[in-house]
Amino acid sequence: MNFFLEILLNGLLSGGVYALMGLALVIIYKSSSIFNFAHGSLVAFTTFLLWQLIVGWHVPIWLAVPLLVAFTFLVSYLVQRLVLQPLIGQSLMSAIMATIALGEFLHGAAVLFWPGPGRMLPPFIGASRVRIGSIAVSGEALLNFAVCSVCFAVFLAFFHKTRFGLAMRGTAEDHMLAESEGVSVSRVFIVSWFVAILIAAVGGILMSSLFGISFEPLHGLGMKGLAVVIFGGLESIVGAMIGGLVIGVVESLSSGYFDPYVGGGSAEVAPYIVLLVALLFRPYGLFGYQRIERV
Amino acid sequence: MLRRPCGTFDENYVQDSALVRTRFRWTLLALLLAGLFIAFPWLASNYLLDVMTNIAITVIAVLGLQIVIGFTGQISLGHAAFMAAGAYASGMISYHLGWSFWISMPLAALSSGLLGLIVAIPALRIRGFYIAVTTLVAHFIIMWGILHGGNVTMGLVGLSADDVRIGSFALDNERRFYYLAMTLAVLTVFLTTNLMRTRIGRAMLAVRDNDLAASFMGINVFRTKITAFFLSSLYAGVAGALMAHYQGIITVEQFTLMDSIWMLGMIIIGGPSIIGAVFGVFFMKILHQIILLLAPWIGGLFPLVAGTAVAGFMQLFFGAVIIWFLVFEPRGLAHRWQIILSIFRLWPFPH
Repeated sequence: MNFFLEILLNGLLSGGVYALMGLALVIIYKSSSIFNFAHGSLVAFTTFLLWQLIVGWHVPIWLAVPLLVAFTFLVSYLVQRLVLQPLIGQSLMSAIMATIALGEFLHGAAVLFWPGPGRMLPPFIGASRVRIGSIAVSGEALLNFAVCSVCFAVFLAFFHKTRFGLAMRGTAEDHMLAESEGVSVSRVFIVSWFVAILIAAVGGILMSSLFGISFEPLHGLGMKGLAVVIFGGLESIVGAMIGGLVIGVVESLSSGYFDPYVGGGSAEVAPYIVLLVALLFRPYGLFGYQRIERV
Repeated sequence: MLRRPCGTFDENYVQDSALVRTRFRWTLLALLLAGLFIAFPWLASNYLLDVMTNIAITVIAVLGLQIVIGFTGQISLGHAAFMAAGAYASGMISYHLGWSFWISMPLAALSSGLLGLIVAIPALRIRGFYIAVTTLVAHFIIMWGILHGGNVTMGLVGLSADDVRIGSFALDNERRFYYLAMTLAVLTVFLTTNLMRTRIGRAMLAVRDNDLAASFMGINVFRTKITAFFLSSLYAGVAGALMAHYQGIITVEQFTLMDSIWMLGMIIIGGPSIIGAVFGVFFMKILHQIILLLAPWIGGLFPLVAGTAVAGFMQLFFGAVIIWFLVFEPRGLAHRWQIILSIFRLWPFPH
């Protein structure tokens, strides 16, 4: 029982980061109905960049973070102007390929500039284990979960309480209508990419405190967001939250209970099997919109 | 649009349904085939033959992907996994049972095709983006299964596959295998061209253009979609089996998600047609060779990463090329080719 609870709690805690990744994808999908396959590469790239600033060039952290934010804004502006704007009205295939190509571009850049494993950011807190009752949880995981919750709350407040959040919600409903009400849709696109890349950076930095910085795990983290949003529904923020937690728990349960039988690594594939089953029964995710089309 | 030279008329049904119409085109075709099967293997070095064999195998795989993407309008992100399924099926039959390539290759193609059919079953209820995700998920599951298959698939070690033999004649060097691969590639192009003129092919085009409208016209959309996926993975299975027996050893590293993405890129660059798929493959493979030629220079540019510099640079460049084509040449090289052709056809009266 204790083992089960420990696994469950660890799964929930790592599910927090997954939910955050899902949120980033939902934001982009809601505003521009583009699924961002470059997310994994963006997670890795921004984390590498912060490492370069802090460890490589010894920039103090109070300067490094604003620089990263500025860079994020630059990237989102360029992506919008050079890649996505020319592709408005093109097929689904073009949109998917554009983000995949962007991801490959960033992947190539990361491989060229930061090869090999073994990079670490300076730790935020010392490695410690927190005991809750009879269950031991790592301090980093708990901190990660807390940061993720705060990010979620901040974004939800921004989305529901501010004027720009209203513009974003309007754009999510209907581009034409939002435009005719005086919302600059292209500005909303830029801001939603900006927010999503910022979230990617936060997720990457949080995860790097557990695994160090190397491309594959960070990219994999971003791609977990894929499983999360498909499970929860592409348009739903609540879905991302629940999907993230479910995926985290499934992953943790399968590595706890199935790994002894299949020789390890079942955590990589278990979320996807759950996802496939979920797709069969709820084709638009738990909370996605079912679109009705007319010819 | 079908533009025919002035003065070419069809007088009976045989002429109407001919693939190659004029004597001029017959000559061109004969020249092309002679070039591929006589002149090239005679003149080219082993290295060039190796490159061409790879191109031929990739053409088969990409044509399969084209059936799903260009003709049926679905998106498959798991094509490399279907290739892997074919390669491993053929490899396992040859390794464990010792059967010859001529039995294992069709069986591999069939099993890979059936796998594609199973993956496409969710297409009954989902469409567009979600079907793309299903194939991506299938990629992860198939590759995980292969990696954890123990002694059956030899996960991390790699599976060895026998040479292809005709009687006692082994196709064991580049030149001999080139003939097999190129013959199959030419056959595939021919078969696909014909497939697109049949009822199934036209149903696929209708589903691509608008699946609701297609279903109102009496096309069984679901059956068309899973047929497309079946054929697509069948092609991938053939390509995978060829690759397995060409290289002699199969590992999971030969079939990564990156390879699926490369094939998608070839289709974007080529455009949604058969000739487009062929152009895309040639373009990407030649680009790859050019970058390999520049390797020493790139290695000097990024001294940190000597070993992986080329791979990294390739990825960077690949991303940029795809975006360039999406933005500036969205209809691909095939469209450019059509423009050039019609200039020749209409010259000297360009209207």
